[in-house]
Amino acid sequence: MIEVEALTKRYGSTTAVDGLTFTARPGTVTGFLGPNGAGKSTTMRVVVGLERPTSGTATVDGRRYADLPAPLHAVGVMLDARSVHPGRTAYKHLLAMAQTHGLGRARVREVLAQTGLESAAHRRAGTFSLGMGQRLGIAGALLGDPATLVLDEPVNGLDPDGVLWVRRLVRELAAEGRTVLLSSHLMHELALCADRVVIIGRGRLLADASVQEVVDRSERAGTVRVRTSEPELLARELLAAGAQVTPQDGGVLHVRGASVDGVGTAARRCGATVLELGSESGSLEEAYLQLTGGVVEYRTAGTPGGAR
Amino acid sequence: MTTVVPAARAGRRRPHGAPARTGPTLPRVLAAEWTKLTSVRSNVWLALGTVVAVAGTAYGLGMFVRPDDGRSGSWVVTSGFVLAQLGFLVLGTVVGTSEHTTGTARTTFAAVPRRLPVLGAQVLVTAAAALVTAVVALGASYVATADARAGGAPGLDLSVPGASRALLGFVVACVGVALLGLALGALLRRPADALVTGVVLVVVGDQLLAANPGRVTDTVRALLPSSGARLLQDDAALAALDAATRGPQLGTWGGGVVLAVWVLAVLGAAAYRLRWHDVG
Amino acid sequence: MSAATTTPGGARAATAHPGPTVGRVVAAEWTKLVSLRSPWWTAAVTVAVAGVLTYLSAEASSGDPGFQPVDSLSTGLALAHLGPLVLGVLVGAGEFRTGASRTTFTLVPRRWPVLAAQVLVMAAFALGTAVLATAASVLGILPAAASRGIAVDLTSGDTPGLVLGMVLFLVALALLGLALGALLRRTVPALVTALLVVLILPVVLMTAGDPLAGGADPASAGLAEAVPSTTVAGTLAVLSPGGAAQLMTTSPSAGPMPGAPDLGPVGGGLVLAAWVLVVLVPAAVRLRTRDVR
Repeated sequence: MIEVEALTKRYGSTTAVDGLTFTARPGTVTGFLGPNGAGKSTTMRVVVGLERPTSGTATVDGRRYADLPAPLHAVGVMLDARSVHPGRTAYKHLLAMAQTHGLGRARVREVLAQTGLESAAHRRAGTFSLGMGQRLGIAGALLGDPATLVLDEPVNGLDPDGVLWVRRLVRELAAEGRTVLLSSHLMHELALCADRVVIIGRGRLLADASVQEVVDRSERAGTVRVRTSEPELLARELLAAGAQVTPQDGGVLHVRGASVDGVGTAARRCGATVLELGSESGSLEEAYLQLTGGVVEYRTAGTPGGAR
Repeated sequence: MTTVVPAARAGRRRPHGAPARTGPTLPRVLAAEWTKLTSVRSNVWLALGTVVAVAGTAYGLGMFVRPDDGRSGSWVVTSGFVLAQLGFLVLGTVVGTSEHTTGTARTTFAAVPRRLPVLGAQVLVTAAAALVTAVVALGASYVATADARAGGAPGLDLSVPGASRALLGFVVACVGVALLGLALGALLRRPADALVTGVVLVVVGDQLLAANPGRVTDTVRALLPSSGARLLQDDAALAALDAATRGPQLGTWGGGVVLAVWVLAVLGAAAYRLRWHDVG
Repeated sequence: MSAATTTPGGARAATAHPGPTVGRVVAAEWTKLVSLRSPWWTAAVTVAVAGVLTYLSAEASSGDPGFQPVDSLSTGLALAHLGPLVLGVLVGAGEFRTGASRTTFTLVPRRWPVLAAQVLVMAAFALGTAVLATAASVLGILPAAASRGIAVDLTSGDTPGLVLGMVLFLVALALLGLALGALLRRTVPALVTALLVVLILPVVLMTAGDPLAGGADPASAGLAEAVPSTTVAGTLAVLSPGGAAQLMTTSPSAGPMPGAPDLGPVGGGLVLAAWVLVVLVPAAVRLRTRDVR
């Protein structure tokens, strides 16, 4: 269990994390979301004791990370994939990690097998591809068989096979009763493997809820999409019934404040021909973009020159 | 489904914001290298630190020089050179290796695939930066030793044969050491390797060999880049050095030539590696 | 590739006390050190340079009338000592430069045991290197001694002390490099500082402490004839890390360096040890109080 309370971290005049509070619970995959520079990595580094909070606390199982008697068994950490000396082989890197907690070579070979790195075990980490580096990072996190896992962008650079593997892995880890805190930029990936999401922007909490709750907050959620041959006629009818209507191209209307049944009845009433009708569900990606829209640190400018 | 762009149109298309003639020209590569050098704050600190260290050393040594030591005024002003060498070596090494240590090599050499203009531009930029730093360091040393020269140490008398050449020689030798550092950095690509090699060639080798004077060791000493330090000596000191050595007598410019040959040889090797080998 | 995991606690049951102990951290640091290539390269070069240079130097001076082979014993170290120094810097700074520190300090969040273990491990590795380099130096003087028919006796007079001094000299420089690397955390600044305090500073100070007539080039100025009195700069020279280190490779009876007080090899060793501590303490404080990036 990870508890972050009123956490603030400043570097000089820059505030990276600003009064952040959230909890990652056992048996749950907690997705950690936010634009670049929002403070995700900083928060994770404070949680695992690499950085000291300016104020507030971050605890694992009720203790400050630095006070954990056996950190490797309490928390499995994968921050930057480049947390390895490039001149060291994967095997020796994991062996040195294991030795700090008195684990044997057998356990190192186990996690190498589990992460599919056996054939690369005696290659120097500097020669690894991004995806192999990620696997090595995950191997290090699994090494101590920890009750809590902190994974920063674990699927970054993995091939589709690897992405699927990580998804199954974190689901299983949570199913075994472990706490998993995982950050990612891949929304649909998080939507598939996370139970809850914590969304931050500019160091502040924007949302802390279950994936479904966040998805339901997106503007499109709960709207009805209808395609008709007489959009103006139907729009008038729906407006009269008190719904909000947003006309789209191709005779499509987005209707808020009316059910699918209601729209179908309205169409029959006014004599408009319905070509397509269905309820819309939001997506995590949309909800995220709407939440963080105002707080993006590095915004993409329009296409240069606008000419194609 | 692919979109085929007509070849003629693709060829004529000018990227948004680009000038009439696209592509890397020497002045453009030069401008890029200058931006890279001066935008890293540590390089600016390095130059300032070198100036302070050189002037500080000259000031400190100036306090200990007595008129009967037989040392000249130009020696007092340029006595910070021992320390200066390290600063200039580091400057060159940092420029030469930064591409390869930070991974910017991929960006740089993707933008300038012919690669050698980049090395050429680095030589010019390093020489310019070293020149400015050396001139400022010389000026600072002159000011710092003003008190000493007015007191116990000999004054700076430009009518002493070779005195003005020695002052100029300080600047030239500093630029030479910086370029040697650049060449070593570009050749070895790792700062630690390049720095240690540079220090061995410029400082340690000479000291080591001086401990065992003899025909062979004096000959090797004369052929090391540390001979460039002869540029800092006035005529009397050069004559004393040539009288003491059992190796070749390098005369007025020989030391400078040895340093220049080293710079060119190592730069050549670096250029060969850059041109024909992969960029990591 | 399998998604299967062991049950929680499976790996934990193996040991009675699960956390990092000093012994375990030392074992881990040893694995980290010897799994890199640079220590082995540096050690090999150090030993080779010590042997070859000592051999050349002994050969060169074997023609002198008063030739004593043992006097040439430490000549190779004048260059070979760069090896342990550079190795220390590379290991000390490498931890942070490469980001491996993130892994290390999440495993041992108390941090100090890691620094202590690094010092211990580096001392052990440097000790091995130093013994081999000293042995190579001994081998280096044998041909010259044989050519003059002089027996080399390492057990009499100043020689045992000199040999011990040479070994400790190399170990101490490795630790100085390690401390500077751990303090500054970046290879280039740490290396420049190390080269400055070990190589350049003594030369500069000796130039000041012992001005020789004729205005020769400053690089060779430290090697002039002895000036009897001590000077401020000469004193500073032997108190600098490099100057103190050089004293360790001289015989006790060799007398002081020009213009410097006579500290002897033991005094030089103590001064260098003090310097190692002076750098290690702020490194430890920085490690404990500052963030690991």
